[in-house]
Amino acid sequence: MRIETCYFCSCKIYPGHGIQFVRNDCKIFRFCRSKCHSAFKRKKNPRKTKWTKAYRKAAGKELQVDPSFEFEKRRNMPMKYDRQTWTRAIDAIKKVEEIKGKRSNHYIMQRLRKGRELEDEHDVKEVQRDLALIRSPAAGLKERKAAEANAEDMQESSDEEEDDDMVVEDGGVVYL
Amino acid sequence: MLMNSGILNGSRSVSNGLKYFHTSSCCREIQKMTKLRVVDNSEIGKRAMAEGKPPKCIHVYNKTGIGKIGDKVLVAIKGEKKKGILVGLKQNQKTKVPKFDSNNLVLIDESGTPVGTRIHVPIPTILRTILKEKTQSKGADYTKILAIASKFV
Repeated sequence: MRIETCYFCSCKIYPGHGIQFVRNDCKIFRFCRSKCHSAFKRKKNPRKTKWTKAYRKAAGKELQVDPSFEFEKRRNMPMKYDRQTWTRAIDAIKKVEEIKGKRSNHYIMQRLRKGRELEDEHDVKEVQRDLALIRSPAAGLKERKAAEANAEDMQESSDEEEDDDMVVEDGGVVYL
Repeated sequence: MLMNSGILNGSRSVSNGLKYFHTSSCCREIQKMTKLRVVDNSEIGKRAMAEGKPPKCIHVYNKTGIGKIGDKVLVAIKGEKKKGILVGLKQNQKTKVPKFDSNNLVLIDESGTPVGTRIHVPIPTILRTILKEKTQSKGADYTKILAIASKFV
């Protein structure tokens, strides 16, 4: 018994599910459900059909190249049965699955984080544009105007002082 | 006659422009007069397929006249009558039975020994159970064709 993968969507096909089709060039196609089978019959390209794993990997939305995927590749060399190899392989499979899962998830999280940064920038811009919705521009207007008026007075007086400094004072004639 | 090309399986409606009527999809069954594709490397088989005169089924050894996978059929090939076993059907099959792009046939003789020496096309593994049931001890042994198959599905 072997758990196959669907030709179209790359999901696992358990025994008793799906349809197997043999083309006249002796290539075997396995489909997990009639959705994939119908799409194949309509000559859809799985690499262009958005919901399939093939599309996601081709479009870089999911981890494609990783050493942890090498373990699953089909080897055409038959192996002599050895109990040790079998039991160790089962442990290895569990470990590899764990690592593969973590790496794939990490890749996806990295992709999604970029979206988060863009969102933040977007939000900041939106807030600045629509600040009026949060705080009315008329709030505290009077106080601000008063403060401005004071500031102007201060400015003028300091300007005058500066002029005084500039003018040399005539204190009269000095008699010795 | 106009056919709705968008519907592959199930019912279609056929119209002559004025009235629509219901037809069911094609069953792709093996019965008398169906043309089959020989997949072993027997001389007659190869010559017949090369000439473009594939064998035609003239009798199905079945209670119903419909050939299922693993059934023995009588075919007319190059002017001779020969028996064969159906090893692959275009028809939609039960679960765990693969379906093929063509109706495949392996030629055998009376005792169930295949006429050819090799089969390069994938053979369904379900045939082992089917042919074993057909084989009676001290009768024809139909499971011999599995021995010459090179690839299984």
